[in-house]
Amino acid sequence: MSTKLLICDDSNMARKQVARSLPDGWDVELSFANDGVEGVEAIKEGKGDVLLLDLNMPRMDGYQVLEAIVAQNLPTLTIVISGDIQPEAHKRVTALGAIGFIQKPVSKEKLTEVLTSYGLFTLPDTVPSIEPVVEKKTTTIKVDNSPPDVGLPSDLRDCYQEIANVAMGRAGDLLARLLNVFVELPIPNVNFIEVSELRMALSDIENTESTSGVCQGFISAGISGEALLILNDSSFKDIASLMNYTENLDQNTELELLMDMSNVLIGACLKGVSEQLDIQFSQGQPVVLGQHRKISELIENNASKWKKTLAIEISYSIENYPIKCDLLLLFTEKSMKTLNNKLSYLIDS
Amino acid sequence: MSFETAQLNELHWLMEMLHNIDVGLVVLDRDYKIQIFNGFMENHSGLFPREVKDKVLFDLFDEIHQEWFVRKAESVFLLKNKAFTIWEQRPYLFKFDSYRPVTGSSDFMYQNTTFIPLLSATGEVSHLCLIVYDVTDNAVHKQSLEQVNKELSALNQIDGMTRLFNRMHWETCLKAEYKRCSRSHHLSSLVMVDIDHFKKVNDDYGHIAGDEVIRHLSALIQLHARETDSAGRYGGEEFAILLPDTALKSAYVFAERLRRTVNDSIVKYNDIEIKYSISVGVAEIDANMKSHESWIESADSALYQSKSKGRNCISLYKNET
Repeated sequence: MSTKLLICDDSNMARKQVARSLPDGWDVELSFANDGVEGVEAIKEGKGDVLLLDLNMPRMDGYQVLEAIVAQNLPTLTIVISGDIQPEAHKRVTALGAIGFIQKPVSKEKLTEVLTSYGLFTLPDTVPSIEPVVEKKTTTIKVDNSPPDVGLPSDLRDCYQEIANVAMGRAGDLLARLLNVFVELPIPNVNFIEVSELRMALSDIENTESTSGVCQGFISAGISGEALLILNDSSFKDIASLMNYTENLDQNTELELLMDMSNVLIGACLKGVSEQLDIQFSQGQPVVLGQHRKISELIENNASKWKKTLAIEISYSIENYPIKCDLLLLFTEKSMKTLNNKLSYLIDS
Repeated sequence: MSFETAQLNELHWLMEMLHNIDVGLVVLDRDYKIQIFNGFMENHSGLFPREVKDKVLFDLFDEIHQEWFVRKAESVFLLKNKAFTIWEQRPYLFKFDSYRPVTGSSDFMYQNTTFIPLLSATGEVSHLCLIVYDVTDNAVHKQSLEQVNKELSALNQIDGMTRLFNRMHWETCLKAEYKRCSRSHHLSSLVMVDIDHFKKVNDDYGHIAGDEVIRHLSALIQLHARETDSAGRYGGEEFAILLPDTALKSAYVFAERLRRTVNDSIVKYNDIEIKYSISVGVAEIDANMKSHESWIESADSALYQSKSKGRNCISLYKNET
């Protein structure tokens, strides 16, 4: 009898990646859910003996799905596949009954290993059946082969979002370890915007609050851009105490903290992106955009150079602390061609 | 040339480049003992690689703030992540002399540094590579630019002849004060001052003497005003002084003191002795003033009263309603 397998992830690309990473020859009946609400529905309809669950989703996130499974005693075994790889996230989902925790991007080896270790999948060493593979091809996966044009069609946006999601998770994990806290990860915002719209894109930062920022250029063959880290000035006090800075909080210590944060977040995020796209970035030296300034003043100097930019905005916040920081990855318009090519390769492979 | 020789050559060239590149390269082990020290470091520190080999970085270079450095380095060891420091944080890591001792304007070399984790075969960070960049020119330029900008923006607010605020900046101050008062219901007063028969001074003694009178009055205003007051040149021979947190009565005391001092003064220009007087109008802010302009109008109308009363006197604006 085939196993009923449910993949629950808001990203189309992530769902495909997971579906592709299923062990060869596993007899499954595959269903997909776009978010937690659909996921719980599908389990209730008996479509999910095994659930492969993402954590970061709109409407109802992975934690809430796990809670619902426990509360309603739903018959499913859950393996979490997450971009959020903080040890605390792992601990929390385990406490909520997930049996496995796999970090994104998922690989066939890892998924097979975890499924095997829980006896959900056994290598079909007796009769290698071909049918399930055929059946898998008839599932609802729709691979979009349309050529990527310069712009941001929804399937590409979805890819960028998923890539940002994984990169954000890496950076969040380092931040969590550096500060010894739990970092709340948002759903990254991906937009192809005019640079003049950048300020509006920074929706999470209130205009009235003064901010400090650092920027750092990055480049790889055909892809270049800048990373901006913007920190609300009110966050410094808590960050200082979390980092065990004992000195008085003056402009200089704040600059140290800003640099520490940007080293960790920009570095890890770029690493996350570059690993997924299989490229390497050179990072320029960071430059202070300003301290105790309005957000509009921080970014005004950059505004005249580019027309359009692919902006990935990630707003980190820290559980139980009023710390707010925004990481922006801005890719130049020229980078779009190479980026889209890399991505279409990721979708199709 | 065999393949191996070619590879050896490449390696040799690479080593040669690293030794000669105009960037400092240092490799440290887990205990901060120096393992590699390139030519740039050797030449700028005056220490030979054999002298520093296996020595702890902090023992050789007193200028390195150990706690600071370790904090940065440990995060690189722990997180396997690059770290960057810039001269704005600390001007330098190694206290080296400026590269241009003759024409350079800095005594020391400003530095940016990059910390790169070096992985061992087991995937752990076993060593750390330090890259030291000379950014003296950038730093000096940025600092002088900031200094110039600061001076420019100050200049932009000052009236050249009187050293008081110019009208534009003074009005900005007034607007801010008006807003502050309407929010917090503080009492502030505005004093408008005009030199009596100034045209006659100019006609009788010439414009240069007139300027001397204007400078004389400006200096007196500067002298009598408190640090928190904003004094500005409003027009040719018209001045305005904003007295925050000052009720009408106290503003009158200020104005009267100024009027009397002017009246008792003699301006000496070459051999000419000039006597002059001023007329003053004072207005306290009140809730009926719908904008900062109406505050100015009120003080102006009081000033006009002083003029029509025969000059060399003070009038207080009274709200008729």
